[in-house]
Amino acid sequence: MHVRSLLFFFGEALKNIVRHGWMSIASIAVVSITLLILGSFMVVNYNVSLLTEDIKEQVQIVVYIDEKAGEGIRSQLQRALVTHPELEEVRYISKEEAMERLKRQMGDRAFLLEGYEEKDKNPLRDSYELRTRVPEDIPRVAREIMELPGVGYVDYGSGIVEPLFQFTGVVRWIGFAFMVGLALTAVFLISHTIRLTVFIRRKEIMIMKYVGATDWFIRWPFIFEGLILGLVGAVVPLVIIFYSYGAAHRWVQGNIFFLSLIPVEEIMEELIRVLAFLGITLGVLGSAISVRRFLKV
Amino acid sequence: MIEIYHLYHQYGDEMVALRDINLVIDRGEFVFIVGASGAGKSTLLKLFLREVRPSRGHIKIFGRDLARLKNREIPYLRRNIGMVFQDFRLLQDRNVYENVAFSMRVTGAPVREIRKRVPLTLELVGLKDKAFKRPDELSGGEQQRVCVARAIINRPAMVIADEPTGNLDPVTAMEILNLLQEINIRGTTVIVATHARELVDRLQKRVILLDQGRIISDQERGVYLNAR
Repeated sequence: MHVRSLLFFFGEALKNIVRHGWMSIASIAVVSITLLILGSFMVVNYNVSLLTEDIKEQVQIVVYIDEKAGEGIRSQLQRALVTHPELEEVRYISKEEAMERLKRQMGDRAFLLEGYEEKDKNPLRDSYELRTRVPEDIPRVAREIMELPGVGYVDYGSGIVEPLFQFTGVVRWIGFAFMVGLALTAVFLISHTIRLTVFIRRKEIMIMKYVGATDWFIRWPFIFEGLILGLVGAVVPLVIIFYSYGAAHRWVQGNIFFLSLIPVEEIMEELIRVLAFLGITLGVLGSAISVRRFLKV
Repeated sequence: MIEIYHLYHQYGDEMVALRDINLVIDRGEFVFIVGASGAGKSTLLKLFLREVRPSRGHIKIFGRDLARLKNREIPYLRRNIGMVFQDFRLLQDRNVYENVAFSMRVTGAPVREIRKRVPLTLELVGLKDKAFKRPDELSGGEQQRVCVARAIINRPAMVIADEPTGNLDPVTAMEILNLLQEINIRGTTVIVATHARELVDRLQKRVILLDQGRIISDQERGVYLNAR
């Protein structure tokens, strides 16, 4: 197709949007509101899952080395941990380091530890702090490590970790289910709205057919119209979310310092992808499909 | 211009709309197709426009066999046939000028040509002064004139009018028929499906009478006969 006819059809689409002004505004509103709800939920959902990931990341396995273990067994244990495929991070904490850390944690009351600092009197043990690649693997990996020679005791917060993971799992599933539900609702609402804009003009399509318009001549303006309505309908919620999430993000950073939210740019990138895709695709497909119904004259 | 041989048309399994139609209409003719409702007039017109395909038999228009016409060729067939409807089928949200221009624009005519030809055509149908009125501001007769203007703007070889006077009073109806006659005199074939007996009788044109899907009579300079 020539650029000129493309421009012509695009112009026709714009004219039709203006001519059916109220219908266009109504359908843009429906598309915008639907995508705004979906987009807002996506923002919440992404942040919740970031938060749960953060919490899960903090869970670690602490392996206390058996004091009676000799050098050979100790280096054997180290090798086993370092080469373990499911471990992401293996950090050795000597009992001196552990004592330092404890002192720091106790702050003003560190004097209570006086006398325990000398090498032979230190009651703490040498240990490894481990992180698994997948946080959910922690209980299983911890049990495996418990069996290794030279291991005195393994602590991974059993009894707390399992329900935590269960909870984050449920949160993720609920979020996912809602997102799918909302996306389907958006698909349904938007495609029906676009079809309605075509439906009220079925007479026009019929007349075009009778005076000898080719199907593509009829179709193109509608397709462009669907594209424009879908695109505008996606841009509106994107702009709203950009500013409101930006404000929320700044407020949280200033007031709730321990809560880390996803940066605005990062979340917008994902939202632009999803909302623009939905708006444009549904606009174009909605038009094309409903025009086809009226072309059979 | 139109050649039909042993044409049958059937909707679904039961209703036979047309039976063994044989008909030749030449260039420049003015033809009435008359008959009661359900006699097959509308089906015949739909066949001319290739809105439906014949179940059996041959139909040729402008020398083209419609049975062999591809779907994408239909628009080009229709550009050569102007349609006038009983219910006008005008776009209510556009003025007279735009309604007529619409018909040209869908054929991809250049804007310059449209600007030149629409006023001329509106003048021909007597609507020069109403170009910027909307259909709902016009009388029935005027709306039908718009419809006629739209039908002839592309200079088709044939104009088909389906009950063009059905919604009009007798005087206005006669005016519309006179307009169609004028168009006919300029060389366009005109086919009018109607059951307006008085008008048919007055014009003394060729009359084809359909009854229950058959052609019962076909007279030059005929009158509206009753079936059976």
